[in-house]
Amino acid sequence: MKEACGCPGSKMQDFAEEQKGAKDESGSRSSQLRQWPIQLHLVSPEAPYFQKADVVISADCVAYAAGDFHKDYLKGKSLVIACPKLDEDQDTYVEKITSLIDAAKVNTITVLTMEVPCCAGLVNLTTKALHAAKRKVPVKSIVIGIRGGGVLSEDWIS
Amino acid sequence: MKAYLNAPIKEVITKFPEVAGILTSYDIGCVPCAVGTCLLKDVVTIHNISENKKAELMYRVEKAIYPDRQIAKPVPVAEQPGSKKEVLRYSPPLKALVDEHDLIKRLLKSVPGIAKYLRKNPALDKELVLNIVDFIRKYADKLHHAKEEDILFKYFDGNSDVLKTMLADHTSGREHVKSVVKALNENDRESIILHLEGYAALLTEHIRKEDEILYPWMDRGLSVSQVGELFTKFNEVDTVTQKGVAEKYRKSIELMEEQIITE
Repeated sequence: MKEACGCPGSKMQDFAEEQKGAKDESGSRSSQLRQWPIQLHLVSPEAPYFQKADVVISADCVAYAAGDFHKDYLKGKSLVIACPKLDEDQDTYVEKITSLIDAAKVNTITVLTMEVPCCAGLVNLTTKALHAAKRKVPVKSIVIGIRGGGVLSEDWIS
Repeated sequence: MKAYLNAPIKEVITKFPEVAGILTSYDIGCVPCAVGTCLLKDVVTIHNISENKKAELMYRVEKAIYPDRQIAKPVPVAEQPGSKKEVLRYSPPLKALVDEHDLIKRLLKSVPGIAKYLRKNPALDKELVLNIVDFIRKYADKLHHAKEEDILFKYFDGNSDVLKTMLADHTSGREHVKSVVKALNENDRESIILHLEGYAALLTEHIRKEDEILYPWMDRGLSVSQVGELFTKFNEVDTVTQKGVAEKYRKSIELMEEQIITE
């Protein structure tokens, strides 16, 4: 099949074979989500669950790639999700993240992105917001691999 | 072996000098440490070395202690990405402490020049010595060490030998400063120089241990939430209780450097 373009974010990859050896897990896990809504256009930075919180800004695809997203990244944190490639009106995203820093006085921000290059846009949006904000806050960037959902890099970026 | 794992590193090195060379070959700088109360097991854990290297190190140490014992040589295992020793990257609050070290290191680097200056001038420059004491007490101690002792160290076990070693260094540094002031009151130029040099040697090694070992170890143990708390608490110190202190002493060090260079 002919691929639409050379973009790594859109490139077709089938790694079903790699999952065949994965261990069979029975039982269920409880959700660590403690708020609604979560989409960045829909959330209000004034919401009580953002005040002085540790906030995860996650690219949409991360939760599907990271097998233990709830346990490893969401537990004890407030969440917003966005797609830096497809979502419109991203200036509003910058304003909202700036409000999270200044008005909600968040404790930390962790930006979770996929390894595909276009996903780095979410880190850029956060950095812009940080520069626009009056407060400074620690920001960590974690990049998740598309195969297996492992952590490819984890760095404090401010 | 268990008994030695729980023994202070200085005792182990004294009893088995070969261990000193083994530790040094893994960039573990315990050999010149003046305190040496950290336990062997903690020394191995606190350094960010890969699991394969750790196994190899423990094998060599055990062989040094029990040369006749049959010990299985560790077989290297495939390591996860990121498990190798990497370039040091600190969380924002610990990076702030590393950055504060820069100004202290500028003073330490100037100590040979200060000693030369003090010996060369017929009249003892009391103002210069008092400025140095003021910098150490207000910047290095009240601003920097207080952030560690009153805030950062509270997130860790205060009874650990690692923290005790760091606190012992702080105490020794304060003793050197007291001795400088005493010598100044007695116009004892050589004693002033002796204690400034002692302070410089102590703090140079202390800062190296913090930058390369202690802070990275602490960063590995702090949660994201704790990093945020520390960041906020350090900012409060910088902008409220110790506002303007960093800038004041930056200028003070610049003036001192100029004075030493121009003399």
